[in-house]
Amino acid sequence: MTHLLEINNLDVRFDTDEGRITAIDNVSLTLDQGKVLGIVGESGSGKSVTAKSIMQLNPGNTIYNDDAEIIIDDENVLKFTSKTDLKKIRGGKVSMIFQEPMASFAPAIKIGNQMVEQLMLHKSMDKKEAKNISIDMLNRVGIADAEKRFNQYAFELSGGMRQRAMIAMALSTMPKLLLADEPTTALDVTIQAQVINLMKDIIQEYNMGVIFITHDLGVIAQVADDVAVMYLGSVVEQGPVNEILKNPMHPYTRGLINALPDINNLDAPLTPIPGNIPSPLDRPSGCVFRTRCPHASQEGKEENVKMCLVEVKPGHWLDKCGVDCGKT
Amino acid sequence: MSENILSVNNLSVSFDYQENFLSKKQKIKAVNNINIKIKKGSFFGLVGESGSGKTTLGRAILGANKISQGNVIFHDDEKDYDLTSITSKEMKEYRKKAQLIFQDPYAALSPRMTVRDIIAEPLEVMKITNSREETDNRVRDIASKCRLNLEHLRRFPHAFSGGQRQRISIARALVSNPKFIVADESVAALDVSIQADILNLLKQLQEELNLTYLFISHDLSVVAHVCDIVAVMYLGHIVEMAPSRELFSNPKHPYTKALLSSIPSIDPENQSKAIELEGEIPSAMNPPSGCVFRTRCPHASQDGSEGTIEMGLREVTPGHWVDQCGVNCGHNQ
Amino acid sequence: MEVSSKKKEAYYTATQMQLVRTRFFGNRSAMIAGSILLFMIVCSLFSGFLSPYDPTIAGRDKDYENGAPQIPMFWDENGFSPRPFLHTLSKYRGKDTNFRWVYKIDTEKRRYVYFFVKGWEYKYFNYKINLPGKALDFTIPGFTFDTHLFGVKEGGIHLFGTDKAGKDLFSRTLSAIYISLAVGTLGVFISFVLSLIIGGISGYYGGWIDSVLQMFTDAIRTVPPIPLFMCLAAFAPLEWSSELRFFFISCLLGLISWPTLARRVRTHLLSERSQEYILAAQMCGASSTHIIIRHLLPSFTSYIIVDLVISFPYMLLSETALSFIGLGLREPVNSLGVLLQNATKADVLLNYQWYFIPVFFLVVLILTFVYVGDGLRDAADPHKTKN
Repeated sequence: MTHLLEINNLDVRFDTDEGRITAIDNVSLTLDQGKVLGIVGESGSGKSVTAKSIMQLNPGNTIYNDDAEIIIDDENVLKFTSKTDLKKIRGGKVSMIFQEPMASFAPAIKIGNQMVEQLMLHKSMDKKEAKNISIDMLNRVGIADAEKRFNQYAFELSGGMRQRAMIAMALSTMPKLLLADEPTTALDVTIQAQVINLMKDIIQEYNMGVIFITHDLGVIAQVADDVAVMYLGSVVEQGPVNEILKNPMHPYTRGLINALPDINNLDAPLTPIPGNIPSPLDRPSGCVFRTRCPHASQEGKEENVKMCLVEVKPGHWLDKCGVDCGKT
Repeated sequence: MSENILSVNNLSVSFDYQENFLSKKQKIKAVNNINIKIKKGSFFGLVGESGSGKTTLGRAILGANKISQGNVIFHDDEKDYDLTSITSKEMKEYRKKAQLIFQDPYAALSPRMTVRDIIAEPLEVMKITNSREETDNRVRDIASKCRLNLEHLRRFPHAFSGGQRQRISIARALVSNPKFIVADESVAALDVSIQADILNLLKQLQEELNLTYLFISHDLSVVAHVCDIVAVMYLGHIVEMAPSRELFSNPKHPYTKALLSSIPSIDPENQSKAIELEGEIPSAMNPPSGCVFRTRCPHASQDGSEGTIEMGLREVTPGHWVDQCGVNCGHNQ
Repeated sequence: MEVSSKKKEAYYTATQMQLVRTRFFGNRSAMIAGSILLFMIVCSLFSGFLSPYDPTIAGRDKDYENGAPQIPMFWDENGFSPRPFLHTLSKYRGKDTNFRWVYKIDTEKRRYVYFFVKGWEYKYFNYKINLPGKALDFTIPGFTFDTHLFGVKEGGIHLFGTDKAGKDLFSRTLSAIYISLAVGTLGVFISFVLSLIIGGISGYYGGWIDSVLQMFTDAIRTVPPIPLFMCLAAFAPLEWSSELRFFFISCLLGLISWPTLARRVRTHLLSERSQEYILAAQMCGASSTHIIIRHLLPSFTSYIIVDLVISFPYMLLSETALSFIGLGLREPVNSLGVLLQNATKADVLLNYQWYFIPVFFLVVLILTFVYVGDGLRDAADPHKTKN
C-alpha cells in the first residue's frame, strides 16, 4: 500500500548572512490516509520548515539536497519546477492552516470571496456552486450565521472564529493531506478545546491525512495517532502516540514530558532540560542532543555518531545514539 | 505592620476609546471592582484568557495605568503608598520597590544596548548608584544570581535565545532590589523545557531575595505548580479565588471548571471531551449585564435572572472565594 | 561549512551599526554604485583643480566655439609620444563649407598636454557677506589656488567640447555637478531639520498634537509640487545675485519636500515608541529626554540616513527640472539643469551632440544615489530574506 505522503532523506539548509544554517537533517516520515501524524518540537526543531517544504513555501535562500524526496500521491514534489505543477499541491491535494489566522486571509478581501476564488482555482466549478460549498463548510465548522460571515472581512471575526474560517477554507477543496502548523497555539484555552474537538470530528469525517505540528504534548495526545519528536532539525523518536507518551525512550522526549507541569500531580517538581537550545549557527555535530543529554559520555563519543532512526520495538523508532547509549 | 504587601480595594480601571476624531467617546471597563490582598512572600497567581483584564490589573498595580475607582495600597516596611494619591517623589520610591517582568523576551530588550547596559538602565534612571564601578558591581551580582554568564554581558540581545533573554529581563527587574514583582506572562513565549527552568529560577530568587510575586498567566498548569493562591479572572471580574491546591482539586465556579477541563491531557487514553463553552468571549466594550459569564455558562437559567445579579466574591469555605452568581447557582459542588 | 567561533563572537558583540555596515559591504551593486558616487563627489569637490578653464564666461575660448570634444592622443601617423598631445585647429569658413565655420585639423603641429599647470584662479571658502548697512559688509578671503591638473600651452584642450560661447563643457560639467550636489545637500538638510522637528513632535506626543500636525503636513503634500515650485520660484526677483538665488532655490526644495520625510519620521517614532523596552524604561521612571536620547534616536538613525539618501535624487531632479524650465538657477551659474537647457535646440541635436554629455552624468548621479539608498535600506532592514 502506498503512503499518502512520504518524506525521504530530507535535508534543508538556509544561506544567510551569518553562514549556512542546517534547518533539517536527514528527516524521513510517512503518513497514511486517515491518520494524524503529530510533529512535536520546540523552537529551532525544524517542524515548521518541514511543513513548508512539503508546500515548497520556504524562502528563496533554501537549499535542498539532491537525493531528498517528498512524494505525495506518487509524485516527487521536490522535482516540480513549473508553477502549474506546484498549483496541484498547494490548495489542491494539500492544504495548510497556520498559527496566525490573519496570515491566511487577505485583509482587504471578504472571506467569502477568498474561499470562492480558491475553490474555483483548484476545482473547476462555477461561482454559485463554490459559494454554496463555502457556506456549507462555514456551517460545518460551527460558525453561526454562516451567510453573514461569508460576506465579512477577516478582521470582523474573533480569533477563534477566524481560525475556524481558516479551517473551513482549507477543507473546502477536499484536500487529501492537511498540514496544520500550530493551529491552536494562539488561541485561548477554552477556544482551543473547541477547535481541537472540531478538528477531530472533521478528520474522522473526511478521512484526510493530517500532519499536526505543535509544541504542546497535551494537544498531540488528544489529536494524533502517531508522533515524531524533533530536536534541532532531526527526528529523535517516532511511533504511535500511546507508546511514545507512555514509554518514552529518548532522553529528550523524557525531558520534555518531565518538564511539563502536570495538573494532576502538583507536588512533582518541574525538571527542566539542562542547558539551552543551541542556536542554529551552533548546531552540534554528531548527536545534536549531546550538549544537553544527561547521559552524555565524558569522552564525547557522541560527536561522531551519525544520527538515524532504529526500530527498537514494532512501530517505535529511536535515534541510534539513544539506542547505543544503553541507558534508555 | 500588616502581613500583606499589597491591598487592592474595589479597583476599577477604565479606558477611553474613540474610534476616530468625530465618533463618540466610549468607556471600556477593563478591570471591574477587584478586591485582593497579597501576603508578603507569597506567589499570587492571576489567571484568565484574553479580555479578562489581568494585564491591565497588573499594570495598574504598578502605576502604569490610571486607576478610575478604588485604590491600591502598597505596604512597605516603613510606610504605605496609596497609588491614587501618590506624590511624584513617592512614585520614584515605589518604582524601586515594585517592578515588572515583561512577556515577550524579544521585544522587551532594546536591540541597540548591550546586556550590561540593559540591566544597568534602571540603576541609572532611578539614580540608585553613584559611580560606574558601583553600577557594574550591582549588575554582575544580579546577573550571576540569574545564572547569566558574566562574559556575555558585553553582547547584544540578538546573541541570546528566548530563555536567556528572559533571564536578562528578570535581572533588569531585580537590579533595583524590589520587594514586589509582577510577572506578566513571563513564561508564555518560552519553550516548555525552558519554561520549567525560568519558573524554578523565579522560585529560587523568591527565597533568596524575599520577593512577593504577582504571576499573571493564561496557562493554568503553570500557575498550578508555582503559585500559592490563584485568582481566576473573566472579563474584568474575579470569579474565583483560592489556594491553588484547593482551586484545582475543588473548583466551584463553572468558568473555572470549564478552564480546567479544557487543558488537553497528556494521557492519550484520557480523551474526555472538555466542557465546551458556547460562543465567544464577549467584547469588553459591551459586557453582559449582571453576571458577565452568563452568556456562556452551561448553568445559565432560562429566565435570565443572572442578568440582574450584582457580582462580588463570597467566602464559601475558609480561604476559598467564589463569585455571588456561582454561589447562588447551586451547581457548585 | 560551519561558522568559526571568532566570527560568531564578533556577530554577538556587533552593534546594530556594525551589522548594517557589514551587510552593506556585502551588497555588490551597492558597493559599486557607492564607489562611483564617491568618485563623482570627490571630483566635484576638486572641480577647480580638475577644470582647465573657468566655467563662467571669463574662461571662454573665442577661437573654438561649438567645438567638438578633443581627446588627447598618444599616437598618430607621425609616431608615438609618451606625453599626450592634441592637434592644432584653425577656424575656416569658405564656400565649400556653405559658409559655416568649421575647424581644420593640422596634424603637423602638435600641442602637448602638460600636468599641474598654472591657469585661472579658483577660490574656496570665499564669501562676500552683504548685511544691511554698508558698515557690516565684509569678505571672508578663503583660499585661492591656480594650479590645474592638466592644460596646454597654446590653443585649448576641451575634453567634452565647447558650447556656443566657447565655454569648456568639461569644466562646466564638473562645476555643475558640484552646484547640483550643493543645492541638493542644502535642500535635504533644510528638509531634514523641518521634518525632524515636526515629525518628531507629532510622533512622540501623539494625540491631538499629532492629528493637527498631520493635517497640516497633508495639506502641504496635496499641493502639486511642480506648479508650486514654479510659483514660488517666479517670485525671486531677477536682480538677485546668483548666490542668493542658489540659497533661495535650496530653501524652496527643502520647504516643499519635508512633508514626505516628516511622515516617515513620525511613522518610525510611533512604531518605536510602542516597543516594550521603551515601556520598561518608562516604568523605571525614565524622563522623556532619556528615552529620546537613549532609545529613540539611535533606533531610527539608520532609517533616517536611508531616507535622506533616497530623497536626494528627488532633490536633484527637482532642481534640474526647475533650472531646465528657467525658473531655477540661471547663467552664469552652472547646474546640470542649466546645461540641459542648452541641449534643447534642434541645431544641437543635429550638429553638436556633445551637449548631451551632462545628461549622462545626471543619470549616473541619480542612479548611484538610488542604488546606494537601496543598498542601505536592505542592509538596515533586519527582516529581509535573500533571494
